[in-house]
Amino acid sequence: MAITFRWADIRLLYLRELRSALRERNIVVNGILVPIFLYPLMLWLIYTGITFVSGQTEGFASRMVLAGVPQEHSAALEEFKRDSRIELKTSSDPANDLRNGNIDLLAEFFPPEPGAPAADSDFRIQVTFDRSKDRSSIARDRFEELIGRYRDRYIERRAGTLGVSAAQLQLFWIETRNVATSRQMGGFILGLMLPLFLIIMVAMGCMFPAIDCTAGEREKSTWETTMTIATPRANVVAAKYLYVATMASLAGILNLAAMLLSMKSVMAPLLRGRAESLSFQIPLLSIPVILAVTVLLALFVASGMMILASFARTFKEGQSMVSPFYIAVFLPILFLQAPGIEFTAGLALIPVVNVAMVAREAIAGTFHWPLIGITLAVEALCVLLALRAAVAILRYEDFLVGSYGGSFGRFLRERLLGGRRRGRQ
Amino acid sequence: MEPVFVRGLAKTFYDEARGEVKAVQGIDFECRAGEIFGLLGANGAGKTTTLRMLSTVLMPTGGSAAILGHDISTDPTAVRKCLGFYSASTALYPRLTARETIEFFARINQYPGDVKQRVDFLVERFGISHYASARVDRLSSGMKQKVSIARTVAHDPPILIFDEPTVGLDVLNALDMQEVIREFRAQGKTILFSTHIMSEAERLCDRIAIIHSGRILACDDLEGLRRATGERYLEDIFVHFVRGQG
Repeated sequence: MAITFRWADIRLLYLRELRSALRERNIVVNGILVPIFLYPLMLWLIYTGITFVSGQTEGFASRMVLAGVPQEHSAALEEFKRDSRIELKTSSDPANDLRNGNIDLLAEFFPPEPGAPAADSDFRIQVTFDRSKDRSSIARDRFEELIGRYRDRYIERRAGTLGVSAAQLQLFWIETRNVATSRQMGGFILGLMLPLFLIIMVAMGCMFPAIDCTAGEREKSTWETTMTIATPRANVVAAKYLYVATMASLAGILNLAAMLLSMKSVMAPLLRGRAESLSFQIPLLSIPVILAVTVLLALFVASGMMILASFARTFKEGQSMVSPFYIAVFLPILFLQAPGIEFTAGLALIPVVNVAMVAREAIAGTFHWPLIGITLAVEALCVLLALRAAVAILRYEDFLVGSYGGSFGRFLRERLLGGRRRGRQ
Repeated sequence: MEPVFVRGLAKTFYDEARGEVKAVQGIDFECRAGEIFGLLGANGAGKTTTLRMLSTVLMPTGGSAAILGHDISTDPTAVRKCLGFYSASTALYPRLTARETIEFFARINQYPGDVKQRVDFLVERFGISHYASARVDRLSSGMKQKVSIARTVAHDPPILIFDEPTVGLDVLNALDMQEVIREFRAQGKTILFSTHIMSEAERLCDRIAIIHSGRILACDDLEGLRRATGERYLEDIFVHFVRGQG
């Protein structure tokens, strides 16, 4: 069957679909409002919640038993007493009290190991805590924070009396320095989050229009009306396809823009003041790259969802057909959240995953052009294959009337594999 | 050749519950220019399947048909351009307004003149003007019926197909529909009309084909059918042929 496209008709049909869609509350909510507002708002709520819960935890006083603090280090004991987050306790059986949760931490001060080159005032500490309890772990962090500060001052004093620096006094000294700029740190955080949301939003933005313009039309009895208009059916399908892909791209891009603009406010509760020092900007070059892969992804997801919904007779049938594909689209992306995953040629060959990787790298300002090229080629190939499948399906009359209990799988089994080929146009 | 020319048209399809169904079994008929041709049959007789094939919604599995010389199998787009199809299963797009609906169908079906003028004319002709800007899903069934007729003739097609157009309408709306169909005939349009209501066929049709189990049992004007059966009323004529078949 030779397919001819009449672009004037496709434009008319496309505008008709778009106009109808923008008057449908569900499409506007899922395709426009949710991408702009829901995820930024949801993340802000989650981060605020996390901050609130951790604030509650930090409100607890850690109950500690400090045993055998040497007389020379009574200043350390005073520091612990002054800290409102710490409550010093005494216990006749601290090990048992720790097990029973009556105290959170036991710190025992001992003299240096016999034979160690140490001054009389030196000491070692054994800290006992219960890792299975949050309160106990927090107590350990607080203890290490306070005793660490005291230790640093003590070493400096000792080094001063010996006429050397603190670093020289210690045989093993670690100093850490973060070389990432605020922009790179912001890019890293964006790269972790935005590709995931981009793909979820493209799939979500696609789902309702894909079902509405196929199964939804059958349910509303407008499908047959559309089938009687004076244009080749390929034009009808092309217009619907472009409309679904437009809605999907729109959802993805709007979400991306909303997340970028709101990231500083969204992250503020979690970073507590440090958000101001981060720069959530993306390089200009990443914009066309992300747009290109988003549009290709939208075209691919749109074709998959429309094919699956093509035999459904009601919106519900359409939903049950499309939902597994919807989940399949963004499931692999969850694995990409694992740390240390690099964008390789192998990953560039996997549809959807490659888009997430390109977006992640582009946000961080990294452009592996050969891998971007592979990604664009793979996505374009997927779109072409899906369109070939759609053209093949168009030849069957079942597509026009809706059949097989709305199941694309049954169509494949009974019509194609079962050899029942009557009604092919 | 007559505007609608049908020879040996057949449709067999597979039904999940009934298996292979021969819905239409090689029917022949023609509609003459400017007449109302009625397909009269009980539910399941094959009327809708026949009209769906003529409007190119379904593909025939046998025989052929031509609308103004365009073959329904090989040139479906040209066929759709020269006919208007109205049935209970061709609903209106609920989220467009009445005016947008008429304009869309006039443009997509390639009305040759000024589309704006055509839309204004149809809005005026069918008394749609006071709800022309309202969305279709907010209209009453009577209003929807008028918009639906207007969209069927938006591109001014020479052939009109009405598949049981009065089903579900109250008496007054059904009479309005009959009046509109007569008016289209007066304008010189060829009308193919299906019904299972005998009085409607008797009142409207210039010629009637009685269809039963996918076959045409008789085709003539009312006087011809009376002569052939010796019966006066169409109901008795219909029963005569169907029982005779049985």
